[in-house]
Amino acid sequence: MIPELSHASYVWTSYSIFGAIVAWQFLQPLLRRKRLVNSMIEAEAERRAAGRNRA
Amino acid sequence: MYLALYVVPPDYQQGDSARILYIHVPAAWQAMFIYVVMTILAAIALVWRIRLTEILAMSCAPIGAALTLVCLATGSLWGKPMWGTWWEWDARLTSMLVLLFIYIGIMGLYAAFDDRRKGARIASVLVLAGAVNIPIIHFSVEWWNTLHQPATIKLTGESSMDPSMLPPLIWMVISTKLFFGAALLDRARNELLDQDRSKSWVARKVLQADQ
Repeated sequence: MIPELSHASYVWTSYSIFGAIVAWQFLQPLLRRKRLVNSMIEAEAERRAAGRNRA
Repeated sequence: MYLALYVVPPDYQQGDSARILYIHVPAAWQAMFIYVVMTILAAIALVWRIRLTEILAMSCAPIGAALTLVCLATGSLWGKPMWGTWWEWDARLTSMLVLLFIYIGIMGLYAAFDDRRKGARIASVLVLAGAVNIPIIHFSVEWWNTLHQPATIKLTGESSMDPSMLPPLIWMVISTKLFFGAALLDRARNELLDQDRSKSWVARKVLQADQ
């Protein structure tokens, strides 16, 4: 149930900004870690492929 | 947030706009607290050159910047209906804006160096120099005649806030502390992973997780 508030637009905008910024603070490191891990897996796969080709 | 939005009665003068303070005040306190933590970590990093403290100090900056932005945005949204203006160049507001610029400057300086450890050390000097802004923010409402009200909640002395409004504020303060702890560890883990990406222990961990 959404309460009826005076100055509702200001209150809800404030809480929305807070929610969005806090959510981004968790989402952004998660995405960065995913990118990091993927790039490391790719680098490892390339390294192994290069090793096989040499052999 | 449930207490702040549903349980606490509206303020007799400000109406429901007073509910904004339950995120504005904890965000402001936390933004300043993070800067103090970052200053201590930066000082340790500069003196003893401990890599983990460099990583932790640099990981503090984006979280502090985010909370400073929350503080400024919510303050502005509260100011419009209460003061009749989105922004006023008053000492408290301006010093908080300076804090945001300092946080952004630290992040930029750190990112500008390919050698992350060198970047962290140079950014740490900026952290120490910027620490002078923290007492300015805190005492700005006493030193200058500002539109921003003086402290309503005091550790020593009587608070001018009604006790019914305190529980959601205390919960939000605790929540922002926990949020900071979790977000800091999350960011520091990424930074450590990035710096050590060529080391064998990282490769082992990553490949183990992938299998």
